[in-house]
Amino acid sequence: MMKRKTRKIIKGVFLYLAVALILISVLLPFFWMVSSSFKSSLEIQAADIKTPGQEPSWIPRSPTLENYITVNKVVKIADYFKNSIIISLGTMIFCLLIAVLAGYSISRFNFPGRTAYTVSVLSTQMFPGILFLIPYFVIFIWITNTTGLPMRNTYWGMIFTYTSFALPFSIWMLRGYFNTIPREIDEQAQIDGCTKVGALFRVILPLAKPGLAAIAIYGFMMAWGEVLFASVLTGKDTTTVAIGILRYITTQENRWGGMMAACVLVSLPVLAFFTLVQKYMISGLTAGAIKE
Amino acid sequence: MKNTRSKWGFIAPITAKIRKNKLAYYLLIPALICMFLVHVIPMIWGVTISFLNLDIHTITDWSKATFIGMSNYINGLNPITTIGERFLRSLWNVTYYAIVVISLGYIIGLGVALVLNQNFKGRTVVRGLILLPYIIPDSVAYAVWRFMFQSRIGIVNRYLLDWGWIREPAVWLIGNKAIYAVMIASIWKGWPFTCLILLAGLQSIPNELYEAARIDGASVWRQFRSITFPLLIPVTSVLLLLSTIWTFFAFNQFYVMLGTDPGFQADVPTTLILREAFSSFHYGIGSAMSVILMGIMAVFAIFYIKNIRPGEEMV
Repeated sequence: MMKRKTRKIIKGVFLYLAVALILISVLLPFFWMVSSSFKSSLEIQAADIKTPGQEPSWIPRSPTLENYITVNKVVKIADYFKNSIIISLGTMIFCLLIAVLAGYSISRFNFPGRTAYTVSVLSTQMFPGILFLIPYFVIFIWITNTTGLPMRNTYWGMIFTYTSFALPFSIWMLRGYFNTIPREIDEQAQIDGCTKVGALFRVILPLAKPGLAAIAIYGFMMAWGEVLFASVLTGKDTTTVAIGILRYITTQENRWGGMMAACVLVSLPVLAFFTLVQKYMISGLTAGAIKE
Repeated sequence: MKNTRSKWGFIAPITAKIRKNKLAYYLLIPALICMFLVHVIPMIWGVTISFLNLDIHTITDWSKATFIGMSNYINGLNPITTIGERFLRSLWNVTYYAIVVISLGYIIGLGVALVLNQNFKGRTVVRGLILLPYIIPDSVAYAVWRFMFQSRIGIVNRYLLDWGWIREPAVWLIGNKAIYAVMIASIWKGWPFTCLILLAGLQSIPNELYEAARIDGASVWRQFRSITFPLLIPVTSVLLLLSTIWTFFAFNQFYVMLGTDPGFQADVPTTLILREAFSSFHYGIGSAMSVILMGIMAVFAIFYIKNIRPGEEMV
């Protein structure tokens, strides 16, 4: 009896040690980011791993808000924030509208070509951006030259691009969400005199709110953090935060403190949003990979 | 087909079905437009460009670019030319990178999933926290790692020095160590997703199986080998394919940590294509290299779709 109890205690201790180890390795880079954002630039620049007393440290030696106060001084991060907010919100809205229609269509109608469409949605999601980047860029240039319509370095060009990127996963996720809502509910709404589209907007969507929130935030986060297309298609009027934070490091000067402060600011909206919809997002992510 | 009266008899029910479901197609139109403009047309266009001598002079009017047949492909794959040598090396680099990142990421993800599948206080909180690396934007995560890997002011070297693993500050982000620095950062960022999926897989395993095994006196290791792992194989196969595709096309970590030119020993196809197209303005060769990658990719995509058959569960 005693033996089993000690074994249980030992198992518990090991379990908590393992959990602690996991958490430490996950959180240390975050800790480094936050702590460095409160270090003076002098402390960061003068740090030297070989000089005792000046090694880079986990805790700021003299904490300061300097980095946050001057975060916008050299790198115009406030402008990049504005650009990112416009592009991300635009992506979120368009992606939501289009994905609702498409998701409803493949969830509720049994039409010829549905399976083919669903498979193609899934497969486009797997094709990485670099495959489209060059032709996409060439098309942008071509459209601008033939029609005079500016495409590169415009908000709507970026919103269109990101909406298309966010769509496959959003459609897939919403389809799954709509499938959990019983069909009898739309049938009832149609008996009560709603059209099919009316049933979608009046009855189904209010029931699907959590799923809608999850894909809205997915679209936002995707546009907020995208690097590859932003590095080529944005210009000085549309630089997003994901590219903007890299501007703190130049060949002349390394503003690590400013960069870390900007990193904290850029992460905050993402963390806040994710906390809101964590549950739905996780179920959406795992549903794609696991056959129920 | 029961309908044998005429050769085309089977068409009628389909057209009737299409007519009945008109609304379904209307609802798909916006999504289809986006897909066509951003995925389908650029893909076709990309193949076209890869046969053209498209450069800085012809980019404004691509129809003036001359057709040069396969020479972009030949240049891209010829180990004697500078670009061919770099492309082949970048393929090797990314393969090496993918093998290390995926296998270590999977082992860590599985280990943590097994730990988190136990019952303990605060499990939900821990599960949320381990997702942090996965959800923060790539550029933020890799910018922080770039800082940590700085040779003189970075925290990584400090510990390596303290523990006596190095004598002099190691240079991480230039030269032959650069790819390892990126691997470490990528594993840190990537394993939580693997863990999340595996955890969901673990939770779908019925508890009765373990109870039965325990009654039969199976050890913990035996239970893992005979129950847990075999039942995780379907999830694992999907995961490995997805992560192979994602890792093979990794760009953000290399770009943020090492810049547009990570150097010969850490160059990957994505950074090379980007430089070739947008710094050297050789859009043709860049496209040819993309198409070669697309070919490699297609093999994986077909394999993936065949494996999970997303159509089946819907019917």
